[in-house]
Amino acid sequence: MFSQIALGTMEQGLMYAIMVLGVYLTYRILDYADLSVDGSFTLGAATATSMIVGGTDPWLATGMAFIAGTLAGLFTGILHTKFKITPLLSGILTMTALYSINLRVMGRANISLLGSRTVFTDFAKFPFMEEYGVFVLCLISVVCLGAVIYFFLQTELGLALRATGDNELMIRSLGVNTDLMKILGLSLSNGLVAFAGSYVAQKLQFADASMGIGMIIAGLASVIIGEVLIGTSSIGRAIFAVICGGVIYRAIIAVVLQLGLEATDLKLITAFIVIIALVSPNIRRSLSSLLKGIQGKEAQ
Amino acid sequence: MLNVREILKTFNLGTINQKIALNKLSLELFPNDFVTVIGSNGAGKSTLLNAIAGNFFVDSGKIAIENADITRLPAHKRADMISRVFQDPLSGTAASMTIEENLIMAYRRGKTRRLRPAIGTKERDLFRVKLEKLGLGLENRLTHRVSLLSGGQRQALTLLMATLQKPKLLLLDEHTAALDPKTAEKVLELTCNVTEQEHLTTLMITHNLDHALTFGNRTIMMHEGRVILDIKGTERNNMTISNLLEMFEKASGAHMNTDRMILA
Ligand SMILES: Nc1ncnc2c1ncn2[C@@H]1O[C@H](COP(=O)(O)OP(=O)(O)O)[C@@H](O)[C@H]1O
Ligand SMILES: [Mg+2]
Repeated sequence: MFSQIALGTMEQGLMYAIMVLGVYLTYRILDYADLSVDGSFTLGAATATSMIVGGTDPWLATGMAFIAGTLAGLFTGILHTKFKITPLLSGILTMTALYSINLRVMGRANISLLGSRTVFTDFAKFPFMEEYGVFVLCLISVVCLGAVIYFFLQTELGLALRATGDNELMIRSLGVNTDLMKILGLSLSNGLVAFAGSYVAQKLQFADASMGIGMIIAGLASVIIGEVLIGTSSIGRAIFAVICGGVIYRAIIAVVLQLGLEATDLKLITAFIVIIALVSPNIRRSLSSLLKGIQGKEAQ
Repeated sequence: MLNVREILKTFNLGTINQKIALNKLSLELFPNDFVTVIGSNGAGKSTLLNAIAGNFFVDSGKIAIENADITRLPAHKRADMISRVFQDPLSGTAASMTIEENLIMAYRRGKTRRLRPAIGTKERDLFRVKLEKLGLGLENRLTHRVSLLSGGQRQALTLLMATLQKPKLLLLDEHTAALDPKTAEKVLELTCNVTEQEHLTTLMITHNLDHALTFGNRTIMMHEGRVILDIKGTERNNMTISNLLEMFEKASGAHMNTDRMILA
């Protein structure tokens, strides 16, 4: 029983970690709070499920979910860079528009995949994968995507993207079109988020028009948890941190549910995690100095 | 080399805050010119540099470099010709990135950014040699984040970044003003060395009148968006600071606001 819950939590955590990687790209690398995430998560789920129901190969459908997400990010990016709409409002506009688009894509408020082929049912056919297939596939996906992002951020293009989030004036004076960088970052980010959405829907065998609500806050909470617990001293470490943050966030949610809270209270709890993290950016420093103080007293 | 013809720039047009920052200003720079720029606060010095670098488009007038019209070219497309160092040491580098990452971005100034590993051993070796010349020990700290450096170190690094890939025009906006006097001297010395060695055409804003007369080969003075004085050669060599202030008063009909000026 316990190990079942633990395994389920790990699987979920790894899927959501893909979404968290996307949020990390915008929120930390580009320094852009992108609210389109709520819509593009559902977009990924809607695209994959409706294509699978329509008879498309689930792997191809998952790839298409990624592409649909990049288009959503592209839209947000154009709103912001070409039409000079603020980052927050650009995201909200995309999120709102996507709500209708997602309903169009699905044709109804929800789709069931019960009995359909998914990437997970396919993967379960490999030897020894009957029980741990979901976990292994999610792990492989997260590790591969994390590695790709890690290497990408060390390329010339990746450096330009990071510099756009760090010091836009400077990198523009070095000849980089920062508008393009923002569009690129937003596209990649939303692609990852939609990819995660398609995984979640295939695991749950279910997509729902409102399944992305609150996703951005969950993503931010995960990024912050990971950074506080693991640190950000290098890009590699930061990527590892946000992946872990995604898993730990899911674990916290699972524990809270086991303690008897209603699933409907989750968003409140998530919001509180983010608020606590935001109002005390020095939380880690004060924690560590507190710990030192206690140790110091014990030594005396 | 640089040809600025009657450029006009008005901020907040049509509001009560309307301000003519550049008033049909003209200026010509010749190859290897090192021009120092002085003028009281708000004279339009920074705005002139911003206009040349393309932070905004001028309302009218023309800007050309080596006969190529760049008036309507966005800033990122002028980057292969122009490099800059700002007053604020924080503004010239990306703090969260390492020294070598900052250097490689500058090394590729004006070039297309590709999907290939940014830094190789060849570049690293080059950076070490260049950093060693700064004499700040940064050559052993290639993978340190720039946020760990002092203001002076960051400014020296920014200067190196600006000249790593030889620009046609180097723009310096009071780039030593935020540093302590000793560090400022050091950065100025580096500036002189590099402009001489690389034969750079340079425009340097300074609020230090002594520096304005000792560095470079030509000095211009700005007032209310115009160049009101342009001296070089023997006239400049015989110039004293009090002469300079006198000429300012004659040319502008106003007292120079010397609050921020360093007169000696
Ligand atoms: N972005 C801007 N928006 C509005 N006014 C500006 C802007 N930049 C400069 N100004 C105004 O233009 C004038 C010239 O400024 P500036 O070029 O910074 O002077 P300085 O010679 O001290 O460098 C000042 O009155 C300043 O307030
Ligand atoms: Mg200025």
